[in-house]
Amino acid sequence: MDLLRRFTLGDVDAFETLVRQIQGNIYAWIIRFVRDPGIAEDLTVEALWRIYRSRQRFRVGGNFDGWTRRIATNLAIDYLRRKRPEDQLIAEPVATPQSDHLIGSYMRDQIQEAFRRLPAKLQVAATLALIEERPYGEIAEALGTSVGAVKLRVFRAVRILRKRLSDIGVMPEGKA
Amino acid sequence: MTDYDDKIREALQQAFPPVDETLRRDLWPMVLDKLHGRSRGVPWYDWALIAVTILTVLAFPRLLLVFAYHL
Repeated sequence: MDLLRRFTLGDVDAFETLVRQIQGNIYAWIIRFVRDPGIAEDLTVEALWRIYRSRQRFRVGGNFDGWTRRIATNLAIDYLRRKRPEDQLIAEPVATPQSDHLIGSYMRDQIQEAFRRLPAKLQVAATLALIEERPYGEIAEALGTSVGAVKLRVFRAVRILRKRLSDIGVMPEGKA
Repeated sequence: MTDYDDKIREALQQAFPPVDETLRRDLWPMVLDKLHGRSRGVPWYDWALIAVTILTVLAFPRLLLVFAYHL
């Protein structure tokens, strides 16, 4: 019997085979949002568990990779929502600009902080569109939404970042 | 995208350099633990105890007053 069909019927051996095939891809997908190997591993385990739990909702013949990626993306969004940006500030103290080298470091910290304060859905869309430069179609599939909605999220993310970074003097205010 | 949007994109790419995306270990044992841990659910004898308690209360409602008195 087909591996995916056995998986949807709850065959644990089939699921084990699938886990070994997809765990690397799911981890690689999640770590780009959370940027911490330990957290990415935990979220990958949770994503795999959710994939098994939701197995009956998967239609055999459908896009399995897209379906699993959507589950992983939703999990990453949930994590980013729960995580407080203040935690990150304690872990990474902001440097003060004293030399050219430190100005770069200072700017980087400010940009990171401003980015982490974005709403989770905007963070994920902006990560994929602006940092990873993924095609909008692929992002829309991963987020389970339309290309138009992704473009709107990226636009909103850029607008918020522009305002925050100009407010703190990191980047000059630009035209919309 | 405007020039300014391009600057934001470049700044983000510099602030968030690529991370190592390689998974260093097999996560199947952890997934299996989770699978067994959560699928176990409530044991049958707990359900039996709940059923007996509900039936007893339905058969002898005044027992509740006795329990309330001793609380």
